[in-house]
Amino acid sequence: MDKTRVHIIKRDEGWAVKKEGGQKASRIYETKEDAREHSRSYREKGHDVIVHKRDGSIEKWEKAIR
Amino acid sequence: MENRFENNVFINCPFDNEYFTLLRPLLFTIIYCGYNPRIALERFDSAEIRLDKIKQLIDESILSIHDLSKIKSTKKNEYYRLNMPFEIGLDLGCKLYHSDTKYRNKRSLILEKEKYSYQKALSDISNSDVKCHSGEPEELVFEVRNWFSELGCQNLVSGSTIWDDYNFFYTDFYDKRTKQGFRDKDIDKMPIREFTTFIEAWLSDNNKKNHCA
Repeated sequence: MDKTRVHIIKRDEGWAVKKEGGQKASRIYETKEDAREHSRSYREKGHDVIVHKRDGSIEKWEKAIR
Repeated sequence: MENRFENNVFINCPFDNEYFTLLRPLLFTIIYCGYNPRIALERFDSAEIRLDKIKQLIDESILSIHDLSKIKSTKKNEYYRLNMPFEIGLDLGCKLYHSDTKYRNKRSLILEKEKYSYQKALSDISNSDVKCHSGEPEELVFEVRNWFSELGCQNLVSGSTIWDDYNFFYTDFYDKRTKQGFRDKDIDKMPIREFTTFIEAWLSDNNKKNHCA
């Protein structure tokens, strides 16, 4: 199973959800909450989701749900 | 990272907790682009005279990044910071007056937090090209990356890629350290030298490093 980590990263236009190693973000959300909501589907597929602060450090490490 | 004049970037910035959120991505970007950051915090020796250390860093660096973010006080009874303008003066003086002509090749990037604020506080450099990062680490990464590009650094990846890679790097750094028993406080207060060693290793392991210098 693909367990690549997924990151929620600050962008000037909002918050990006991006798989590690990917070329592009899957989508940019206006708020971090929206990005976290969207990233839940990744957790259900076995990915850890790393929520970053504006400075790139770690706010929360959300483990895969299954 | 090799410590030689053509490779070194002197960093002149505030040393407070607030600025650390910018300093860490700044160090990452400099090393990512193939250069060697030099900063007064890189070594600690209570017996060393601060001005001697600054002079040595300026002497040994062809490039310099000066961040004037803190030249304006933000609340009553707070002093504005004079160290950064003072050290710009030392660096420019070295470039203009040093008897060794190699110093005429020095290049610098001046950064500020609010656009044009430097013109009010340091009007002597008002015709200089100063870049604004708005206090945002992502913007800082873009400005520094673009400066290296303007200096002739070839084949650089985009600022977006460096910023994303910084976030990935930080995750690995945090993961590794917490597994070794480090708490958040240990990570936040980690000495610069230890942090940059981590950056070097991560870039090398991930084959990310540029070789511009």
